Amino acid sequence: MKTILLKDGSQEKKIEKFACCFMGLSHLLFLKDYVKGLFFALTEIVFLIFLPSIIKMLINLVTLGSPMPNVPIKQRDNSIFMLIDGIIILAVVAIFVIVYLLSVKSAKSDYKEYCRTGKYKSTKESFSLVAGKSFPILGLAPAVVMICLFVIVPLLFSVCVAFTNYSSPSHIPPNNTVDWVGLQNFVELFGSEATWASGFARVAIWTLVWALAATVTCYFGGLIVAVMLKESKIKIAPFFRVIFILPYAVPSVVSMLVWKNLLNGSFGPINRTLIQLGWIKDIIPWLSSPGLAQVVCVLVNLWAGFSYFMLLTMGTMTAVSQDLFEAARIDGASKFQVLRYITLPLVLYQTMPLIIMSFTHNINNFGAIFFLTGGNPTVADSTTTMAGGTDILVTWIYKLTITLLKYNYASVIAVVIFIVLAPFAIFNFRRTKAYKEGEV
Amino acid sequence: MRKYNAIDSINKFIVYMIFIFISFCVLYPLVFVVSAAFSPGNGIASVNIVPFADGFTVKHFLKLFTQTDYPKWFMNTLKIAIATSAITILISSLSAYVFSRFKFSFKKPMLMSLLILQIFPSFVGMVAIYVILLRIGGLDTLWGLVLVYVAGNIPYNTWMVKSYMDTISKNLDEAARIDGASHFRIFSQIIFPVAKPIITFLGITSFTAPWMDYIFPKMVLRSPENQTLALGLFGFVSDKKNEFTTFAAGSLIVAIPFIIFFILSQKTMITSFGGAAVKE
Repeated sequence: MKTILLKDGSQEKKIEKFACCFMGLSHLLFLKDYVKGLFFALTEIVFLIFLPSIIKMLINLVTLGSPMPNVPIKQRDNSIFMLIDGIIILAVVAIFVIVYLLSVKSAKSDYKEYCRTGKYKSTKESFSLVAGKSFPILGLAPAVVMICLFVIVPLLFSVCVAFTNYSSPSHIPPNNTVDWVGLQNFVELFGSEATWASGFARVAIWTLVWALAATVTCYFGGLIVAVMLKESKIKIAPFFRVIFILPYAVPSVVSMLVWKNLLNGSFGPINRTLIQLGWIKDIIPWLSSPGLAQVVCVLVNLWAGFSYFMLLTMGTMTAVSQDLFEAARIDGASKFQVLRYITLPLVLYQTMPLIIMSFTHNINNFGAIFFLTGGNPTVADSTTTMAGGTDILVTWIYKLTITLLKYNYASVIAVVIFIVLAPFAIFNFRRTKAYKEGEV
Repeated sequence: MRKYNAIDSINKFIVYMIFIFISFCVLYPLVFVVSAAFSPGNGIASVNIVPFADGFTVKHFLKLFTQTDYPKWFMNTLKIAIATSAITILISSLSAYVFSRFKFSFKKPMLMSLLILQIFPSFVGMVAIYVILLRIGGLDTLWGLVLVYVAGNIPYNTWMVKSYMDTISKNLDEAARIDGASHFRIFSQIIFPVAKPIITFLGITSFTAPWMDYIFPKMVLRSPENQTLALGLFGFVSDKKNEFTTFAAGSLIVAIPFIIFFILSQKTMITSFGGAAVKE
């Protein structure tokens, strides 16, 4: 076979064909680039060696093993291991396919290069080129591996579990296997199982109300305090600022647990103080009546969260150019007008992405609910669903996973949260400067 | 003019009243914790409603260090926090540099997925993480927990550091490249030092987060000698027992360094927060 290449660019098809047949073949045969060629060829050989076990794992991913009631537990098929291995292998295959595509692309561009210069690359040139190009790959490798293993694979796993019957009591490995059930879990949670469906609707609505209320109260609470600190011109403002920062500085687990104890119905110091003062006769069930507990959650969260937004708005206000204020003052704007038409719109515009981030954070604000109320008090459907009156979706996921072992429902809820939140992330992404200027 | 002054002082008076009210709300639980930590009682029910009215004792602190594993929890958490912070800084800044300075295939989808992945709370995949750690032998080890934290930190922090590095002039690395510096040298000796403000910020946030995380330690760490502070402190006020005063003492020891740090750095935080928002 002729391995001398024409320099007029007419053999691109041939290069592409050989590059597609076996990774690195064109590099070795025609382009005489042995460094790259050997690397690509070795990658493919390693892949081929492991191909049988890869295929076995992929088959396992599809079947999730078969029930073997007569075999000792240790030797039975473990569907969950199969599922995870299958997903990891899928990720490996995806990376292999990407490398394959890159090898074909590289062969084509190297051929163009050859047509232009008219000579093959020397081994030394090739080495230095590869060394230069390998820096970004090596630099990204740790991040990519970590994200794949601990973020993407668990994510895909959750999505997959949402379509299986992985749940207590009858489908928990290693005793039993798990099977694919299609959309059954979604159907059950969204309608066919009445208790679960109503529980889900209740928790989902409360989650949205909670996230909205928590974000709005903290944002405006922080904004108002920041504006008052700045505009009031009182001498000891810095002293008050230090006090107002304290809730942000205390770790949130500590502050939530402290509030939980302070608000305790019968022993809590707040109720005891109010009774001593003679303001109330009976104890107030701060955390044990559903409606009141929800309000208390939002208020305690305001206590813990307004400092952050206070700092944020103060920072934004100091960063606003002084020229604007100067100009407004010269035009005769009153103090209030400056605040209303210049400061507030600017602050609002600039903190918008952070408001959205805070909203998504509050939807997932596990700590604020779990440590304050633990999701309690119980309501009508709590005996079946475990979801209490103040449970938000994430704390419910936690209970479903840890206590009830209903992994399938927990995954459905996780998928729902993801679908609801992804657009917010994309919206924020599109607002960034890098995206607008077309850099990425 | 005198009338104006009168309105002004009424305004000031109202502002003072509001501030004093907020300060009372903010300080009430904090003062209560401090007083509980030094009060002789045990549960929340036995603590006097007037702070510091029960007398003064340090027995809860002594108990923490002699009868519980508190020092051990503290050391475990410290180790986890330091390792998480160091590894996060290393990996995130390196990949941020690559994203900021190189052109390569799949760059845009990778950046986009960083941002989307960051909103997904990582404990949602906890069953999968549990099984993966089980398979690589990371269950009930501190490094297993560090791996989980670092992986969770990477997406957002890489994005944040990358945005900062984009604002650093490319002339700096051009000049170095002409002088023959390698990519790694440019990163470690030019870009990294210039990006110090954001990297300090990243280091501090990833150092503080593990101190009070609860879910992952609960899932990963099983044996009593591997507990962290959050697990231990939560144990004092679980449903089974209420040792609020011991809990308060333990919390105080953790919270005080945090509070001192925040008060000292409040000026820097205000400017860095402002900067972060404006940079959008």
